[in-house]
Amino acid sequence: MTAVSRGWSGRLLLLMTWAVVLLIFLPPTYLLLISLNPGLLPSLPALSNVSLKWYVELLSETRMLDALRASVIIALLTAVATTAIALLAALAHRRMAMRWQGPFFALVVFSIFVPGVIQGLALSVIFRVLGITYSHLTVVAGHLLWSLPFAFIVLLTSLSVLRHSLAEAAHDLGAGEWQVFRDITFPIIRPGVASAALFAFLLSFNEFIRAFFLVGGQDTLPIYMFGVMNAGTSPTIYALAGSILLISFIGFALALYGLGLVRARRQLRV
Amino acid sequence: MIARRTTALLSLPVLLAVAGLAVLPLVMIVIWSFWRWDPSIYWMRPAFALDAYGSVFGTDRFVVMVRTVRLAVVTAALALFLGYPVALFMERFAASRQRNVLMLLFLVPFFTSYVVRTFAWRLILGRTGLLNTLLIRLGVLSDPLEWLLFSEFSVQVGLLASYLPFMIFPLLLSFGRIDRSFIEASEDLGASFSQTFRHVILPLSAPGVFAGFLFVFVMALGSSVEVQFLGGAAQSMIAIMIQDVMRVLNFPLAFAISTSVIVLLVALLILGSRILGLDRLFSSMAR
Amino acid sequence: MDQRDDNPVWFDHPSNISRRELLARLGVGGVALTLGLPTLARQAIAGTAPKKMTTLRYWASGTITIEKFWKQLEEDEGIKIVFSDNGNDPGPVVSKMVFGNANDLYDIGGLQGGAERELAARNAIAPWDLAKIPNWKDVWSWAKDIPYTKVGGKQYGLPAVVNADSMIYLPDKVGKVDSYAAVFDPKLKGKTGMEDAWINSVIFTAIYLKENNLQKITNPGDLEKDELQGVMEFLIKKKKEGQFRTFWNGWEQGVQLVTSQEVWVMTGWEPIVFAARRAGVKAAYAVPKEGYEGWSNDVLLHSGAVKRGLSDAAHRLANWILGGYYGAALSKLRGYVVPTDHSVAAARKFSKDFDAKFQAETNQHVKTKFFSRKGATYWQNVRPRNFQQYEEWWQRLRNA
Repeated sequence: MTAVSRGWSGRLLLLMTWAVVLLIFLPPTYLLLISLNPGLLPSLPALSNVSLKWYVELLSETRMLDALRASVIIALLTAVATTAIALLAALAHRRMAMRWQGPFFALVVFSIFVPGVIQGLALSVIFRVLGITYSHLTVVAGHLLWSLPFAFIVLLTSLSVLRHSLAEAAHDLGAGEWQVFRDITFPIIRPGVASAALFAFLLSFNEFIRAFFLVGGQDTLPIYMFGVMNAGTSPTIYALAGSILLISFIGFALALYGLGLVRARRQLRV
Repeated sequence: MIARRTTALLSLPVLLAVAGLAVLPLVMIVIWSFWRWDPSIYWMRPAFALDAYGSVFGTDRFVVMVRTVRLAVVTAALALFLGYPVALFMERFAASRQRNVLMLLFLVPFFTSYVVRTFAWRLILGRTGLLNTLLIRLGVLSDPLEWLLFSEFSVQVGLLASYLPFMIFPLLLSFGRIDRSFIEASEDLGASFSQTFRHVILPLSAPGVFAGFLFVFVMALGSSVEVQFLGGAAQSMIAIMIQDVMRVLNFPLAFAISTSVIVLLVALLILGSRILGLDRLFSSMAR
Repeated sequence: MDQRDDNPVWFDHPSNISRRELLARLGVGGVALTLGLPTLARQAIAGTAPKKMTTLRYWASGTITIEKFWKQLEEDEGIKIVFSDNGNDPGPVVSKMVFGNANDLYDIGGLQGGAERELAARNAIAPWDLAKIPNWKDVWSWAKDIPYTKVGGKQYGLPAVVNADSMIYLPDKVGKVDSYAAVFDPKLKGKTGMEDAWINSVIFTAIYLKENNLQKITNPGDLEKDELQGVMEFLIKKKKEGQFRTFWNGWEQGVQLVTSQEVWVMTGWEPIVFAARRAGVKAAYAVPKEGYEGWSNDVLLHSGAVKRGLSDAAHRLANWILGGYYGAALSKLRGYVVPTDHSVAAARKFSKDFDAKFQAETNQHVKTKFFSRKGATYWQNVRPRNFQQYEEWWQRLRNA
């Protein structure tokens, strides 16, 4: 897509866009800056005073790093499981008779309204009654429940882009179900699948209260964070925030760049 | 027949997950909400009692529920107000590279813990915070603005900054429905951008509006950190109230609050889908 | 994925690190390791069998872990601590104890004192056998007598930390503060704060009202219904007038309110003063004429640990916690005090790590607080008799 000539409406929208970018970037950027302050006060460091002290100390915070690793693993598992189940569910929803769609939608989505603290507590009681050993997987189960409605709705939104006529045409040309999905449906909803997976990852990565009731021996990062926020910490938490900001920035930039290259190459081939 | 079996197979995983992880706990929550709380043993006794519900609706607790729902609605509305133009800009006006950069920017901050991010607002909006210091140095203010922090304003800022991407991405996805040829046709017919927007873009982006609104609403509804960190003295939200109640081990009441919230919101969802025709929302716009 | 060993009593696996350390200590070095000798042969070279280690899972407020100093416990008692932070929010913590899986996951708990009664009633915790804790006899007598640590004559909570709280203030802004009146002073409107929990804030208000003869109150820690009404109506009025800048939750918020001078006077924990001073902010801790609010953080024996056969190890841990080294480490790290003079002796003995003079002063400081006014320290009470009404009133305050 190329840029359309921007009238005053385009300029106004651009301005609002940057205002929103500012709003969401102010806190993490500020955290990044104060993480460079070697002092104990969370304030901006003088230029001559910039230091990586807290980043060095970060490396020795084993409990924090263990929690980070657990959270990444749990969020990845949650993202994969949630996206797969939600994708199947969204495809099923689309194929259903109209009168079933409403109840099915409500059934998949209602758990989004259950307060997290109660959901976590109730699930932990059920797991206990069933004699399930607590591990990362029990946390994933809780996070799955929380992120599933989001992924489902995102995929429904994405699927609504797809025209039935397209699939029908393919069917008429003799394509099987799987072939239609692979060659027509999936390429069109790919951004939706990516969004669903990202949402699931983020929801899991930031979830505190459900994980609190469902963890096994190893805490997740939000649980660790809550603990130190309540009981005393050092500015290494700002260093961690800064690191995560930079790493996710670089990671996504590389991923986007890589995708761009792949796409460019594909276009060349065509 | 085969098609129907495929549909059933496709929906099997989600039905199993929902039955085991959501319905079963819900049944327990509802049953326990009718039990009777006995402070003398710090526990609940089996009963079919409405005590807990009496406490939900007879005291100040209902006020908290209403207030929380109101805050969540306002947050979702503001998120829509801010997110829609952004998504629209990315869809209509941004070149593909700029679009990619913006998507990157709207994702990256959310990997840092929202607890610390919310905490950062205290440092930015406080009496001696970044913003006040800046405004005073620039000579705009002589005294710091007190209402920037520990106010409805700061709570709203914190909530929006936490949950905006959950508005922007569904909108972007729904814009994909909008066939460029519609817009071009509309423009060829001499429609202005605002006319095209009103008659073509807005109706077609309805699923994204619905999804984004629901997402932000739900997340704001369940939030507690933003209010605790950024709100005034002892402000409450449903989540805070439930934890207060759990603190005194009044589990029937905690479950009754949850049940009431769920019933209220599912009823709203069903009502909304009847009135707004949400059933048809996610069906393709062209068959 | 999860490394939890189902059998809680386990022999220390010959993990590379401990083995390497062991060998290094005995001068064998890494040679045997790289040769890849079978375990038995290596033990023969080292000359000792691996020490039997018992793992105890400790679930408590992050303020009471002593991090690297737990190593000493491994040497002294062969007990390895796996510490998990309980987040310090009593609502979810107690729920997880009586309803959730805390008893399956953790052996020892550490909780703000006062929840013993219902935890014992729900069989979530077991009583300590004081005969197996020789160091108990040297615990300061008044700490032994904290009322809520006993249920039905049995000792369920061991006070691992005791302290008395008052107010943190900024002397440059408000001068010297020696009364809770400062928190409610109209001249300081919008510049004061309290904790966002009735457990603390109601008792502080009650102490203020009682000691200044503003309201008739028998025991500020356990209010009658009408007393509670008077206290809460006063607080609600103050809140409506905009007296409080905000209420705070947890350490990081408390420190930030003081260091950023968001509030000038607030009720809270003394270590916040230390943290503020370390960060270069001039803060002070008030010696209130009305008296302090006393509290303890108690070590609890999870009934799950007893079932798993860990009772003996738990008692050895409890004895060690009251044995001095733990106290010295905790005072050094956090400024908190374990109610025993053994910590001074331990600081003297381990002078490389600790400062005996500092330890003696810190202990004395806390003792002085408790005896600053005869009998006028009111114990914090997580479960006053009318706790339900407390919660209801607190909700009303939140809505006001």
